[in-house]
Amino acid sequence: MAHFDTEYQRLEASYSDSPPGEDNLLMHVPEGAKSQWHHIENLDLFFQRVYNLHQKNGFTCMLLGEIFELVQLLFVVGFTVFLANCVDYDILFANKFVNHTDSSKVTLPDAFLPVDVCSARIRDNAFVIFVLIISGVFWLHRLVKFIYNVCCYWEIRSFYINALKMTMSELPYATWQEVQARIVEIQKEHQICIHKKELTELDIYHRILRFKNYMVAMVNKSLLPVRFRLPALGESVFYTRGLKYNFELIFFWGPGSLFENEWSLKSEYKRGGNRLELADRLASRILWIGIANLLLCPVILVWQILYAFFSYTEVIKREPGSLGARCWSLYGRCYLRHFNELDHELMSRLSKGYKPASKYMNCFLSPLLTVVAKNVAFFAGSLLAVLIALTIYDEDVLAVEHVLSSITLLGVCITVCRSFIPDKHMVFCPEQLLRVILAHIHYMPDHWQGNAHRYETRDQFSQLFQYKAVFILEELISPVVTPIILIFCLRWKSLEIIDFFRNFTVEVVGVGDTCSFAQMDIRQHGHPAWMSAGKTEASIYQQAEDGKTELSLMHFAITNPQWQPPQETTHFISQLKERVHREATVADTHPLSLSESEPRSLIANLLVGPSTLTSINFGRDGSLSISAAAAGLSDGASALRSLSPISSSLHLRGSLSAAHRASGNASTMRKAMAGSGTDARTVSSGSSAWEGQLTSLFLSEYASTEMSIHALYMHEQHKQQSRGELSRHTWHRQESDESSDSIPDEVRSEPNPHSRHFPRSHTFPTTVPSPSAIPTSASAISSTTLGQEGAPSHSSGQRRHSGSPTDSVGVGGKVVRSARGVPMGGWAEEGQAAPRHHDTLPEEGSEDDMPPYIHKTT
Amino acid sequence: MNCRSEVLEVTVEARQVEEAMLSLLHTILLHRSSGKFHYKKEGTYSIGTVGTLDFDCDFIDFTFVRVSSEELDRVIRKAVSEFKDALSNSGSDGMGQISLEFYQKKKSRWPFSDECIPWEVWSIKVNVVNLANEQERQICREKVGEKLGEKVINVVEVINRHEYLPKMPTQSEVDNVFDTSLKDVQPYLYKITFQITDSLGTSVSTTMRRLIKDTLAL
Repeated sequence: MAHFDTEYQRLEASYSDSPPGEDNLLMHVPEGAKSQWHHIENLDLFFQRVYNLHQKNGFTCMLLGEIFELVQLLFVVGFTVFLANCVDYDILFANKFVNHTDSSKVTLPDAFLPVDVCSARIRDNAFVIFVLIISGVFWLHRLVKFIYNVCCYWEIRSFYINALKMTMSELPYATWQEVQARIVEIQKEHQICIHKKELTELDIYHRILRFKNYMVAMVNKSLLPVRFRLPALGESVFYTRGLKYNFELIFFWGPGSLFENEWSLKSEYKRGGNRLELADRLASRILWIGIANLLLCPVILVWQILYAFFSYTEVIKREPGSLGARCWSLYGRCYLRHFNELDHELMSRLSKGYKPASKYMNCFLSPLLTVVAKNVAFFAGSLLAVLIALTIYDEDVLAVEHVLSSITLLGVCITVCRSFIPDKHMVFCPEQLLRVILAHIHYMPDHWQGNAHRYETRDQFSQLFQYKAVFILEELISPVVTPIILIFCLRWKSLEIIDFFRNFTVEVVGVGDTCSFAQMDIRQHGHPAWMSAGKTEASIYQQAEDGKTELSLMHFAITNPQWQPPQETTHFISQLKERVHREATVADTHPLSLSESEPRSLIANLLVGPSTLTSINFGRDGSLSISAAAAGLSDGASALRSLSPISSSLHLRGSLSAAHRASGNASTMRKAMAGSGTDARTVSSGSSAWEGQLTSLFLSEYASTEMSIHALYMHEQHKQQSRGELSRHTWHRQESDESSDSIPDEVRSEPNPHSRHFPRSHTFPTTVPSPSAIPTSASAISSTTLGQEGAPSHSSGQRRHSGSPTDSVGVGGKVVRSARGVPMGGWAEEGQAAPRHHDTLPEEGSEDDMPPYIHKTT
Repeated sequence: MNCRSEVLEVTVEARQVEEAMLSLLHTILLHRSSGKFHYKKEGTYSIGTVGTLDFDCDFIDFTFVRVSSEELDRVIRKAVSEFKDALSNSGSDGMGQISLEFYQKKKSRWPFSDECIPWEVWSIKVNVVNLANEQERQICREKVGEKLGEKVINVVEVINRHEYLPKMPTQSEVDNVFDTSLKDVQPYLYKITFQITDSLGTSVSTTMRRLIKDTLAL
């Protein structure tokens, strides 16, 4: 019997001859520090760096980018100084002749001044010296910063590689949500944060966005003095980077700021006792900082120009939309930002809204300017035509002095004039444009709805979406204006600021002091007019304006499906989701009442915007819109009463098919992504390698669409709740917008006749699919299994697909849509469609689908 | 702020300050010390014993247990008496704070010096009161004893929670976690600092450091 032997054995050790006292001791095995990632001191900074490295696409990209920026700076400064001081322009313009012995041609080196003359000129010019010194300091600053960053980010790099097990090469293709999921995962093993066993997504967001959340809340509560009523300009907004920097300096990190360190507010600011004294202290600090700003004004100006140059190139890199004539203002970014929204999420949202927004702004061309522009363009055009014709006849004309330059100038003049002449085919339908914008930007003041055609609305919108030229101008005058604002406006608000920080700071275990708004607690900060009536206990002071708490909550829950909110919040979210779903699908059981048709048509309207972006992700929205259409068609009587749902959903189809037709040659982005179409195919055929990743891409992609729907729905509810009689008004307006003669056209453009009853069977999965739907349902099953296979690695997938009835429809609808739009050869199309899904910046798509829509409405 | 922080508050008479501080600091250190590690060849180690002894206070009706290490006691006594002197010299309202910080060292590469990362900070806030007569002193003596007893239980409760502790180090890393300078006992690396009155605001040096760090940040 074996276990007898093992049970009783002679104790060998006791007979060994080791010195007494040591042999009886328990032996331990040290665990050692397996990784260096346990217990990181400054988690705020750490997470920020992890995020930055992810946004900059890995270490090498970042390193190269920074090196080039340094070289660029040297080049720009050097070249400018050289052009200003070392070139003899007289020789270049041939006003002065060079006496060459060998040839008569003037060469470039002839125009350069000799080195000693050149350096003497530089030395004599005090201004140039001043600029050179400042830029030298600036460059050194950037160099030191660069070296420091390389050291810091090297550590983050090894964190990615060793702890998160992600190589730098795959980093650009991983979403932030994936990175975050891994961080949450390794917390269990490494204990990065020592307070808790597990990190949540919200913790990470809180740490990265701690101060930004405060700024968003302060803008939301109109605490910061950024709106001014100026005598000549009316109400205007002035919020520049310099001002923002000063605010942050005063509140968050400057000497004597309210924060003790990155994660905690000073304790005396948490007590209400001596608020007056603290307010006095803050006011005097603001005064001093304002005076310092005033004194350093010229230095800041030069610095600003240099800084603007470089951050501007970076902005272009990150946000292609900024190349246009307009950009989202800094104030707009603060106003439109959700609580707990990371930079890239905000950027992609705003980029999607860019095209409709600029279209909206272009609706408001001044007729007076148009007349002038037309005529100027006419005269300039005739001159240009003559000059060009002459040149074509005999190119010697070009040699005549100033002909080339006048051709160029005339060309520029015509281009400028053209921008003031509205497109002949463009139609003024601001209300709908504004809705499409709202679908992306998620926030707008109440009084805009129904007033989209008013000039005041446009003016206010332009505060969020300003001309790039205005932006640059504001930046340039900012060094002068900033001290004035600090001294004369911010100073008087010091008491309010102290109160704000005291009332709206909560200490969260494991995170430190955060802005309580960022907790997104409906009960504490909900606004009764924004669907949290009955749930909120907030006083008016505590309520976030514009439904920010509710919308932020939805946004966060949708972008981070793994996040488990507190009980009540979960209830709110699921209730809202269900309502949105019901509103969109179950309409055919109800007679169409006015109040219901409004949001439904709205959802359909919205879908015109984002749905054509991506066609797999169509999934959810496709199914929604189709069912809306079906609902409208099924009860004919009510359809007569409510033209708008039908026609709008028909528009939707028209534009869909248009977009499909266009998709072959449309955007370069899609073409670029088409190469990876094979990946999508592997997924759809069920091979496993890419599934997890793609599933998460599906989710993150359609999350934005889902959020758009929710945002629109919430705005609609809010509007009905707060101003019932106005919705009727809008309704009439909208009806008049859609003229009936467009309907036949739309029907022709959608030739699939059985699609009308088909989606309904998918909306209710219990019903037997109609024969025409059988191939589709087969593919639907395949996609469902795909989702479930992806689920183990991404529990989000699981939750999403099986969690609520809404979601299961989404999955089914996803493929329904792709098969419907493309009656034959579904896979090949889908292979093409999937890459569109990858697009990190899908604004191209959303832009493309607007024009057909506008045309259709006429 | 990736560290736990615990705050204890006591109100004592001037002559009790030293003993009160000693009792609390020693209690915490008793639970945060281990015997000396003796590393063996195969990457294992054995732990030596820690002796304890009872310490009776003169000015408080209180007895506490401390590690019977004269060296450790000397270090702590020195810190506490400095604190007491500073407190009595300040003369003002008699508020002070002594904090015991446990940290870990992290080796870093060249441009940075070794980081000391705290993982637990105990702050003991002291409020010194002046008593008028012997009667009150007698009451105070008992009261403070009771209070300190509560605090000690409090400390033990906190320490009993299963929370983050640095992992047991290998031989080469032992200096990063434990204070190995003492002969008979081996506490976690600790640091005792004190502050008289809550002098507001961060010092100039930390502000400057943050200013520089911020400008360097991306």
